[in-house]
Amino acid sequence: MLNIIVCYKWVLDEQEIRVNAGSMTLDTGRAAYKISDYDRNAVEEAVLLAERYGASVCGLTYGGDPVKQSLKDALSRGLDSVYWVHDPSAATADAFVTANILAAAIRKIGKYDLILCGEGASDTYAQQVAPRLAALVDIPGLTFVSKLAVEDNKAVATRKLGDCTEVCTVPFPAVVSVLPEINQPRIPSLKQVLGAAKKPMIEWRASDLELSSAEITPKVRVASLKGYAMSRKNMIFKEEAAASVTKLVASLAKEGVL
Amino acid sequence: MSGVWIYSENAAIAAQLVAPARELAGSGHSVCAVVLDQQAAEGLLTYDLHTIYKLAGDASWPESYATGIAGLADKEKPDIVLIGGTLRGKDLAAKVAAKLGAGLVSDAFAVRRSGDGIETDRLMYGGLAVCTEVTLPTALVTIPPHCFEAPATAPALAPKIMEVQVQTDGSIQVGAVCPIERQGADISCADKIVSIGRGIARQADVELARQLAEALGAELGCTRGIAEDYHWLPVERYIGLSGQKVKPSLYLSLGISGQVQHVAGIRDSKIIVAVDKNEDAPIFAAADYGIVGDLYEVAPLLAQAITNAKAK
Repeated sequence: MLNIIVCYKWVLDEQEIRVNAGSMTLDTGRAAYKISDYDRNAVEEAVLLAERYGASVCGLTYGGDPVKQSLKDALSRGLDSVYWVHDPSAATADAFVTANILAAAIRKIGKYDLILCGEGASDTYAQQVAPRLAALVDIPGLTFVSKLAVEDNKAVATRKLGDCTEVCTVPFPAVVSVLPEINQPRIPSLKQVLGAAKKPMIEWRASDLELSSAEITPKVRVASLKGYAMSRKNMIFKEEAAASVTKLVASLAKEGVL
Repeated sequence: MSGVWIYSENAAIAAQLVAPARELAGSGHSVCAVVLDQQAAEGLLTYDLHTIYKLAGDASWPESYATGIAGLADKEKPDIVLIGGTLRGKDLAAKVAAKLGAGLVSDAFAVRRSGDGIETDRLMYGGLAVCTEVTLPTALVTIPPHCFEAPATAPALAPKIMEVQVQTDGSIQVGAVCPIERQGADISCADKIVSIGRGIARQADVELARQLAEALGAELGCTRGIAEDYHWLPVERYIGLSGQKVKPSLYLSLGISGQVQHVAGIRDSKIIVAVDKNEDAPIFAAADYGIVGDLYEVAPLLAQAITNAKAK
């Protein structure tokens, strides 16, 4: 039976973040948290592999207090257990720190054939954690995977790289990051939601992972975060369809884009 | 020797990194390149680089050179390494950064010196915000393709090519490399695009958008949901942060609400037009022109009006 670790990030829902006009600061007050969209594909892929080949699947996440809410959510999606590295360092962590923490947690978990990640986090979209984990744990890493199968204790993965696809075969253990197109995450059933509370949730601190202070000190520091201003003309026609169309076509002709 | 390095497995993109690398190097530092073969080395000979490190290994898969590049960087100590942000480049950059224990900024669209390190700008929250970050050496940065133009060649001082023997990672077996067959033109280069979202109720109604696209001479694009959830258009046609980034002269959306990730993919368009029945849809804030209305009524009228206008 395979042992799969799937990493996920608990992020603010970017659709609910508002930009304050004028100051261009971000208002995250009304934004709820969610499992990063791309990570839902990783969780779904882990569960699909378990259904197809038989596997024990555990979740792994790193973050501060709000992450507590995520545990049942993640478990309801089909994981058998979940590990949470609960540490305030997450507030300023860059990919260097995050990967160091996750790699140390993976070593501590100990049993793994496959480590699955999403293609990137939906907040930072830095796409670094999966390949960094491969380098840190010193196992092969395959990114941007659109199709994944298991054959003879190996992962057979189709990578999609803009202008080409390539089929790669790696022996376990390996790290794989999956593209959103690999599957369609299912909505947890009521039974799964109710069952989630009974599954093991293991909480660690960064200090449980035997990392040096240098390893949890970020290399990339955020200097400022501001709403992105897109200056557009915003000429919106709200008349009866034919009248709006006439005005729009006249405007486009004037812009020289017809 | 400290300085600025550039690397991309794609020769054209490597050349695009020369300009920002020179800017960062200023007069006090040198610019060096890392390449994987002789052809790539020759492609960079016409720029005034200090040294071109040609890695000699037994693998043809670019990602398997991460250990080799990290080893060389550990020895030569560049301050800054700029890496072309293709998908292969991003994979390799993160592996090199992990091996070096270094910071890496992904997809920076601006990079400048700041004190002993660098300051970069990149998008956050699906394109809603710009994050400015500071990284101390060794600082790695991936830069999206076509973010900068390759400078004019300056053949005054030919760089020296230094061959370096490296170990490659052989644990991954790569077979069956296939080019992706695109249906129609590559929309990332299209001059005009009509794009559809969930306001289109049925697959058969995609025809409405197709007729409008035909009237305009436009390519058809869509949101992630249309390609990945409904499969009404190929995945290569979806526009957004994780899909295609487009820069047409005219981008016209039909029934797209305008989630931030989608808007991040269209922001370099010259003119953005939105048609949607929801007046409060965020797409209108991102649009130059908009029509609040039923796309089923508007799209055919628009196709006809455009055909008429063009006939004049």
